Amino acid sequence: MIDGILIGLSTALSLQNLLFVMMGCLVGTFIGMLPGLGPMSAIALMIPIAATLDPAAGIILMAAVYYGAIFGGSTSSILINAPGVASTVATSFDGYPMARSGQAGKALAIAAYSSFSGGVIAAIFLLVAAPSLASVSLAFQSTDYFALMVLGLVAVAAFAGKGSMVKALLMTVVGLMLSTVGTDQTQGVARFTLGMIDLVDGISFLLLVMATFALSEALMAILRPKDDSARLEEKEASQKLGSMKVSREEVKEMVPVISRSSVLGFIVGVLPGAGATIASFLAYGTEQRIAGPKKGAEFGKGSVRGLSAPETANNAAATGSFVPLLTLGIPGSGTTAIMLGALIGYGIQPGPRLYLDQPDVFWSVIVSMWIGNIILLILNLPLIPYIARVLAIPSRFLLPLILFFSLIGVYFVSFNTFDIQLMVLFAIAAVGLRLLDFPMAPMILGFILGGMMEENLRRALLINDGSWSFLWERGLTLSILVIAALCLLAPPLVGWITKYRNRNTTDATPD
Amino acid sequence: MLTKTRIGGALLLVFCLTYWWLIRDIRLLPFQVNQAFTARTIPELLAIIGSGLAVLCLILPGSGEKPDLKGLDWPRVIGFLVLMSAYGLLIRPLGFLLSTTAFLMIGFTMLGERRIWISAAVAVPLVVGFWVLMTQGLDVYIAPLPAALN
Repeated sequence: MIDGILIGLSTALSLQNLLFVMMGCLVGTFIGMLPGLGPMSAIALMIPIAATLDPAAGIILMAAVYYGAIFGGSTSSILINAPGVASTVATSFDGYPMARSGQAGKALAIAAYSSFSGGVIAAIFLLVAAPSLASVSLAFQSTDYFALMVLGLVAVAAFAGKGSMVKALLMTVVGLMLSTVGTDQTQGVARFTLGMIDLVDGISFLLLVMATFALSEALMAILRPKDDSARLEEKEASQKLGSMKVSREEVKEMVPVISRSSVLGFIVGVLPGAGATIASFLAYGTEQRIAGPKKGAEFGKGSVRGLSAPETANNAAATGSFVPLLTLGIPGSGTTAIMLGALIGYGIQPGPRLYLDQPDVFWSVIVSMWIGNIILLILNLPLIPYIARVLAIPSRFLLPLILFFSLIGVYFVSFNTFDIQLMVLFAIAAVGLRLLDFPMAPMILGFILGGMMEENLRRALLINDGSWSFLWERGLTLSILVIAALCLLAPPLVGWITKYRNRNTTDATPD
Repeated sequence: MLTKTRIGGALLLVFCLTYWWLIRDIRLLPFQVNQAFTARTIPELLAIIGSGLAVLCLILPGSGEKPDLKGLDWPRVIGFLVLMSAYGLLIRPLGFLLSTTAFLMIGFTMLGERRIWISAAVAVPLVVGFWVLMTQGLDVYIAPLPAALN
């Protein structure tokens, strides 16, 4: 492990990579701060630039953009109560009331220190967990991988929220369907190309991500224009921050919250599909219960604990979500799915072999997490008063620029104008589906995993002479599939049981 | 009742059924037809699962929320879709600098910037700077002007 850390340090601390970390954190914060644009859009916008770099530098850049975007999302949550992403919604519960009471600077500082601590502690866990899991997963066979991918897809849908599971599952299947467009890798047969040469190589992952995230988010902002009072509030919030000093009492209050929330966040982040949003809400709820009646009553009104807990947990979960990506090659979230796509674009197959075959990439990602978090703290926090001015840029300039960067990012990779037309088509579909509350992240996850899933299933069937019995004969495969089935069945079962109990309680209550 | 879930379910059911229909266009060689796993295996599975889930969306009420189309600026979004499509068609014939400057200036104007000189002052330096960065900094060449002028 020491050798690994040294490899990671030597790669991540090169002048070029340090510059990429700084640039990534800054750009990520900038993009993440724009309401509506989250880490997924931020990473997608950086892929065309990352593609021109060597794999380690590219991944370091994207990872830095990821933390930067989460940090930026927290900033817009605190300042204008407009979370750029779901994972910073819980941050706004106490961050925004603090900002309204004239303590925006302090709220931003607490968020930054909590994010930093959560990220650094989780990176230590990652350092221990990733190599151990990678060595265990060397024993995995294609049947287990197939089952793991099923679990990953199902888990994302299962955590989609009440009433959204079927929709999320359907979107996952749509993503899988889109991944089958193009030439079949094993038999060389064209599928769903509609006779178009431009589709023979399939749909580009970057194109789909840009169209369904960056482009459709900008179009949604055009579709739902903000009123002048909201714009005025954003402008005012970006100019008045107040002091960023945190008192000793507040630090004392934060320390135990940070310790608990980082462990919780990391564990939730490792679970496929759970991600930073669930981690932040869980940490918020847990701390509210632990705080007791007096401190608990402060939650939602500008509590230091209420701000620190979700901020720590979402950063720890973001780091935790790299564990399944780096060790099993299975992304646990939409963001890591995009990073997986980028890694595959480099010709790198994440999984247990990554640790052995490309240690520089594996370790430099882990080490860059520490460096990224340090840079966020020492560079971005003092710069926040200036970066926050992005909130004052008129949307009439910002939105066409986002559209331009999305279109040109894809065009500069393929130089095919057909891709721009295809992006427009996907953006129309994405806007329609967003208006109908169909989630986009499961679709991207399905699209990324589709090819690998098909390949692993084909191998598994070949090894088993065409028999599907591997699904129940191999213990590990069966166990993973049982967990997947539980993930799928647990939410509706819990819902039914709660409903049944409530009904019984109502019936038992005397009139 | 036409809820968001049902409308989405209906649209995706059409998508899944079209996908299912198109599977017959996947041509298999005679020796491939009887193999345990062919290029049609996964698409067939997906078509069945996808159609089933879409039907579930139609049957289950979901949140019961109806689509709220009030206050949505459709003409402007359609305008931007046309603008993006036109940009895709014109980027080669007009060259990067002209087409992108026009795209941005029209975009700014569509979103309410009436002063052309301000639009130009934002768009022109940005486009030229971006082109220089891409061609000189990242070695990605793109024709700056129409073919006749290059």
